[in-house]
Amino acid sequence: MNKVITINLGGNAYQLEEGGYDTLRAYLETATAQLQRNPDRDEILSDIERAIAEKFRALLASHKTVVETKEVAAVLAEMGPIEADPGEAAAPGASGAGASSNPGGQKTAGEEKAAGSGGTPRRLYRIQEGAMIAGVCNGIAAHMNIDPTIVRLAFVLLTIFWGTGLLVYVVMAIVVPEARSPEEKAAASGFPATAQEFIRRAKEGYYEAMKGFPDRKARREWKRRFKQEMRAHADQWRYNWHSYWTEHAPVHPGMGFALPFLSLLQGAATVVWICAIISLLATGAVFGLALPANVPTWVAALLLLIAYGILVGPLKFARRACYYGLGRPRWAWSFVFLMDAVVWLAVVATLLWLAFHFLPELRDAVHTLPSLAHQAVDDIRTWWHGK
Amino acid sequence: MSVNEKFSAIRKGLLELLVLQIIAAEKVYVADILKQLSATEFATQEGTLYPLLSRMRREGLLDYEWKESEAGPPRKYYELTAKGREQLRETLEYWGQINGTVKKLGQK
Repeated sequence: MNKVITINLGGNAYQLEEGGYDTLRAYLETATAQLQRNPDRDEILSDIERAIAEKFRALLASHKTVVETKEVAAVLAEMGPIEADPGEAAAPGASGAGASSNPGGQKTAGEEKAAGSGGTPRRLYRIQEGAMIAGVCNGIAAHMNIDPTIVRLAFVLLTIFWGTGLLVYVVMAIVVPEARSPEEKAAASGFPATAQEFIRRAKEGYYEAMKGFPDRKARREWKRRFKQEMRAHADQWRYNWHSYWTEHAPVHPGMGFALPFLSLLQGAATVVWICAIISLLATGAVFGLALPANVPTWVAALLLLIAYGILVGPLKFARRACYYGLGRPRWAWSFVFLMDAVVWLAVVATLLWLAFHFLPELRDAVHTLPSLAHQAVDDIRTWWHGK
Repeated sequence: MSVNEKFSAIRKGLLELLVLQIIAAEKVYVADILKQLSATEFATQEGTLYPLLSRMRREGLLDYEWKESEAGPPRKYYELTAKGREQLRETLEYWGQINGTVKKLGQK
């Protein structure tokens, strides 16, 4: 009976016998050392991992889920040692001394931590990896060593309640420099340049690596990077899918005309939904359709939300299909999405404005909303205690 | 020292030319290149090929695009750039010259 270790190669999980895992790790570590001076190091390593993953995949079947130690060795023998490219200037210390002396790159977690607290000066940068917009929140999160989601949420709340978040964001996006070089990236999170090793570990297995970190801070940082890495994989997959779609989707000029029409439809659906919610809260009935007596208002609101999702889902999908069918280059998508969002917002705003001016019932309903909200809260509370 | 050993440096140097030639014919991914080379004196392995390809890409000789594979992770399919084609032409020309020199010298 052998212990099995799960690893992540190229975004897929593989189970290896422990001996095989050690062999693979040694191989990848030697490769990292060999490529120490290579500017494409990370890319070559991920190419190699993908190639290994493909070979593992060929070995596995439904009744065979674990890669054995001798199979790992065979695959790695087939891969061959990572050789410094003859056209590349020789990496000193890597080719001569071989794997025995590890020039950087392969420090243990303890050493790494020591180097980290030794103080790489921490500076504020924008971080593009795993960023939503310009990487401002990501950079702040790394700087403060917290989850980027918290920072993003704070910005959104600032925007909604005081309207300042957006302004601050735009200013920071312009003023704060982007972390480009490995040194800057290291300074952004206060971890030494060997922080790239965190990503390497992420690929070798989440839980295994988790044990390797001595303190909470390093573990949290590692978790953050793991998530980022996973997100990058998802993005890559999505990107592949999109480029596949742009190549194979039927292109029809009518799609361009269908787009605004679809946006309009979706906007109308949103307005109907908003009116339905308001009418539900104000009168306890949806457009005159009374609820059964034992259904609380909030359940009805939830049902409306789900119905809205079901209605709008296909519309959204059709709109996206239109974009990709138009065969736009990648950079244009974000612009198109922005434009579409603007159109959508404009439609919703206009329709709402019209509704408020021509439907006095709606206006009255909105005025009674605050008290209704209190009532809804009370409803939920009594329901909760009654349970 | 066998002939095989003697020429290992030359083979290494020529590998780039052969890779250029293979990629010039059609879009290929690494396993295709290895397969085409495996039957020749230039049989090589991923460990050698990936660093070579990434340097060639950095030098602007080739480019790649991602394609989904039916099983397993997506693959990089390589193709030559205009610069790569130019380099291939130049290198082949030079190789022809060298060949000519080898045949010509020493013959009366």
